[in-house]
Amino acid sequence: MKTYSRELTVGVALLLLLAALAVFAPNFFDGQPLVSRLASQMPALVLAVGVALVIMTRQIDISIGSQFGMCAVIAGTAAASGMSMPMAMLCALLAGALMGVVNGWLVAGLGLPSIVVTLATLVTWQEVLRLWQKGRLLALPDGVQWFGTSQGTGQALVIGAAFLFLVLMAWAMKHLSIGRRIYATGSDTEAARLAGLAPKATTFGVFVLMGILAGVAAVLNLVQSPQIQPNSGEGLELKAIAAAVVGGVAITGGRGTLWGVLLGLMLLVNVNPALTHFHQPPYWEKAIQGLVILLAVAADGIRHKKQKRLK
Amino acid sequence: MENMGRAFVLKTLLKLTEIRKSFGAVKALKGVSFELRAGEVHALLGENGAGKSTLIKVMTGAHRPDGGIMELGGEEVSGLTPVRAQELGIACIYQQPALFPDLSVMENIGLRLEKVGIFHRVKWAMWRRKAEELLGQIGAEISPEAEVRSLSMPEQQLVEIACALGSGARIVIMDEPTASLTQKEQHLLFQVVRNLRAKGVGVVYISHRLEEIFALADRVTVLRDGESVGTNAVDGLNEAQMIRLMVGRDVETIYPTAEEEPGEVVLEVKNLACAESGLEGMSFQVRAGEVFGLAGLVGAGRTELARVLFGITPADGGSFSLNGKTVEIRSPREAISHGIAYVPEDRRRHGVVLEMAVAENITMASHRRWFKAGILRGGVETEAAQSFVEALGIKLSSPAAPGGSLSGGNQQKVSVARWLATQPKLLILDEPTQGVDVGAKGEIHRLVRELAKEGLAVLMISSDLPEIIGMSDRVGVMREGRLVEIFDNAHAEQVMAAALGSGEVAR
Amino acid sequence: MKKSGFFNHLLEKNEIILFWVIAMELVLFQFLGRNFLTSGNVSNIFRHSAEIGLLALVMTPVILTGGIDLSVGSLMGLCAVVFGILVKVFGIDPLSAAMLTILTGAMGGGVNAALVAGLKMPPLIVTLGTFSLFRGLAEALTRGSESYSGFSEGFLALGNSDLAGIPAQVWIVVVVGMMIWLIVHRTTYGRSLRAIGYGEEGALYAGLPVRRNLSIAYIMAGAVAGLAAVILVSRLGEARANAGMGYELLAITAVVLGGVSIFGGSGHVTGTVLGWIALAILNNGLTRISDYEIFGEKISSVARELSGLLTGLLLIAALALTICMKTLAARRVAKQT
Repeated sequence: MKTYSRELTVGVALLLLLAALAVFAPNFFDGQPLVSRLASQMPALVLAVGVALVIMTRQIDISIGSQFGMCAVIAGTAAASGMSMPMAMLCALLAGALMGVVNGWLVAGLGLPSIVVTLATLVTWQEVLRLWQKGRLLALPDGVQWFGTSQGTGQALVIGAAFLFLVLMAWAMKHLSIGRRIYATGSDTEAARLAGLAPKATTFGVFVLMGILAGVAAVLNLVQSPQIQPNSGEGLELKAIAAAVVGGVAITGGRGTLWGVLLGLMLLVNVNPALTHFHQPPYWEKAIQGLVILLAVAADGIRHKKQKRLK
Repeated sequence: MENMGRAFVLKTLLKLTEIRKSFGAVKALKGVSFELRAGEVHALLGENGAGKSTLIKVMTGAHRPDGGIMELGGEEVSGLTPVRAQELGIACIYQQPALFPDLSVMENIGLRLEKVGIFHRVKWAMWRRKAEELLGQIGAEISPEAEVRSLSMPEQQLVEIACALGSGARIVIMDEPTASLTQKEQHLLFQVVRNLRAKGVGVVYISHRLEEIFALADRVTVLRDGESVGTNAVDGLNEAQMIRLMVGRDVETIYPTAEEEPGEVVLEVKNLACAESGLEGMSFQVRAGEVFGLAGLVGAGRTELARVLFGITPADGGSFSLNGKTVEIRSPREAISHGIAYVPEDRRRHGVVLEMAVAENITMASHRRWFKAGILRGGVETEAAQSFVEALGIKLSSPAAPGGSLSGGNQQKVSVARWLATQPKLLILDEPTQGVDVGAKGEIHRLVRELAKEGLAVLMISSDLPEIIGMSDRVGVMREGRLVEIFDNAHAEQVMAAALGSGEVAR
Repeated sequence: MKKSGFFNHLLEKNEIILFWVIAMELVLFQFLGRNFLTSGNVSNIFRHSAEIGLLALVMTPVILTGGIDLSVGSLMGLCAVVFGILVKVFGIDPLSAAMLTILTGAMGGGVNAALVAGLKMPPLIVTLGTFSLFRGLAEALTRGSESYSGFSEGFLALGNSDLAGIPAQVWIVVVVGMMIWLIVHRTTYGRSLRAIGYGEEGALYAGLPVRRNLSIAYIMAGAVAGLAAVILVSRLGEARANAGMGYELLAITAVVLGGVSIFGGSGHVTGTVLGWIALAILNNGLTRISDYEIFGEKISSVARELSGLLTGLLLIAALALTICMKTLAARRVAKQT
């Protein structure tokens, strides 16, 4: 029987955190700021879902922050040059797909370790972006922010799109064969090969999908502000990976659910606002993020050890 | 049902003629012929290392034979791959199931049986129904929802069998399917096999347990040393004849014999147990100057015992003493410091680091002996390695050559040299001549006898029956995690019977 | 046949390739750049890359075991901050503070060691976690933006003065480099690291203390990251939380460029040193090219971005090359048997 123990643990922790906030800092739940905060986390949610799929196939992609930045600037430039919004969005997705192809080819095609490959592409895209933009802010034309609608509608659109995407992905992972292929590849690559499930193709596809999702995330981020910073993606990879790992996606592949990823992300991103609401300095965000990753890893490690002893 | 089965009897499903396969210098199959008919259970019998697993891998396309003809349904096939073999209706149930541990039982069955596309709907209801049906057919009480990781080994095997059953295979190969099944599960399995037979499926059944073969098989082919000794109808044979076919008759001649009486007790084991490796109540002694042979089937717990003695999986019950002193060993390092040496079974993974130089390999377990304060000294190392190379007659271009460049026999000698370099009191050899050619085999035998003569206590694990009879002063036989008998003057038939658990037949 | 044999031999000698790369870099930058091969600039090349050299050297044993340490750059940030606090807040003398900083680094490495060697978790995710943790602690300790400066002249001399015509910190790199070389190539410990890299189980069956030796490699990496932090603070005269950001990538690139297999087992400290020098020259050389333009900018003004980009591409190329060599070697072995 599948047990959702990690999802439960994280869910309870999240509830406790929210309950504490409700009691001690009720203005945390004030309508508009809450919606804004939620909307601003939607790009991270899309990235976290993508990287969760990568980790489920027993790989990793730490270049997603750079891909995100690249897609954002490409879409922004396209929009600024007078392209229509849908065309600009398409540009972002295409750029992301292309970067995903590079990672996928190096990892699945050449059999290189994904950590080093994506470390290299991380810095490559990042520096290309710096060379190109030289740190300038990129102003966006009107009609891009909030898809040309009001802030309220725009935020609703962003949140709605992200959650619709999450639900669709969760459904696809459960009910489409590609989902089973992903889990099977991560669970035992050799068995997947013997069963004719083409694990290499799956791995390649997941990296390409990751690139496309970086594009989607970039678009969801783009529409929330009047301009873009070229370095907006830096550090986002850690947040996404942390969300996935905390939410129960096993780093050894084959395990985890997208609902867990959602809970993991919500727990992580609410730590910092909670700190502020409890009048604690927010500088601890990164440290707490690291600590939570290590705790999740250690929990996995202890579980493995116990299992081994049982057998 | 019975009549239906008869109708298929004459049709030949699979025919192998003069199949040959070598790994380097080792000839695993020297021209094996085998024929499988529709609606029969054909047992494949032979000692470990006789070539059964190689033959299976040829049938499933995992190994490509060097020569010989393979015909399927009358048509010659060449260039068989595992995927192609599946398409042709050949299913194999290995001892180690190739399942997805993180997925549920029905997913494993579904993914195996269906051609899954990329964006097709997963037919959960159908997968579950199919899983229930197939598991029901073999009488396995496993929930289709259960995660495979949480299943026991026999349960996982049943899932494999369900997969083979559902794939509609015409040829089903079972590699010791009952090795870890309970009595009840075994009976269910027999029923499954009989059902398959009735449907006209050809079953290749590999087992060491003679009573199973009598209960189940129609014909039996015996393999010995990579050759097929013959195919017989099971009805025409009794157990003793079958054992004789497996063992052969050339036991006494080539082995060097002991000349002196053994000395003091070096290793004394009392009631040793280790839950993790499934060992219980082991008690025996090994004396200086003696070769104590340990016989038994694969999975009887011999390697597990060696791993316990060597501290890889420490014991959790009983005691053992070395030279009269009770010791507790929790790691290989402690074992080495107490004078225990272990030449492991899996030479390529555990015995020799293939990428590293022979000299580095030889000194690896005895760094402290050669290098003061952990500082490497090339001269000392080369000299040490050279002395072992000469003493053991290792053939190599230079001690700086990587271990992987040597032949199997020479690699094995390097592995032995590594452990002699630790100046042990007790030497444990695990399948010392597996995958070694005949010449090197004789040399290793002489070496072992010489070491014993010099006062070393030797515990030798081997599945090669003539070897264990010929080499050992005493032979202990293990079965299912226990030491069942110790023979002072063993005969091949006695040992085989004890290992098989077939009681009084051979005596 | 003979020709291809020679070619293969050359391919395997990573050091020889690197010699050529370095020679080409020298010629190119001397030709295109201004004031490249002056004694002052050559000093600079090494002065500015000493910290990366240290990290690359100590990353070598870790990668030889088949592991990786992504946290060294972040740990440098934490150690820099700790050093700043020790000196400026607690008023401890720089030498003792440096010792304590190195100890801090070793403890940080100890966290990695406990999770990697103790709990047997993949080094990649463990050090990704500590990558975030250490940097976060550094930021928390400085409340996001504070930095510490105003160190004594004597301490700043470590990072900015010469000793016998060579930058002071380069002497430290030389000493550490020799130590690492001795440890990796001349001790049983180094031997055991390689055995672990080729197969952890095989090393265990040979009775090698796998856990202990793995731990030592990560702790050593942490301690040297602490040392590198002290040197960086001394050179810049300032201790900030962002010290050493991105250095882990440069260190890994130097090691992989140097021919150390990312899968563990094979490699040489000499290769790492050459890889480091090649990277250092690239970083510096680009800043010297002010006569040529790229994307409408002087190359010297975008040298940092350009060298980062080239580093990323070099890393991919080096990886692809190792894979090609592996397949070539496998094919050769297959031919023999």
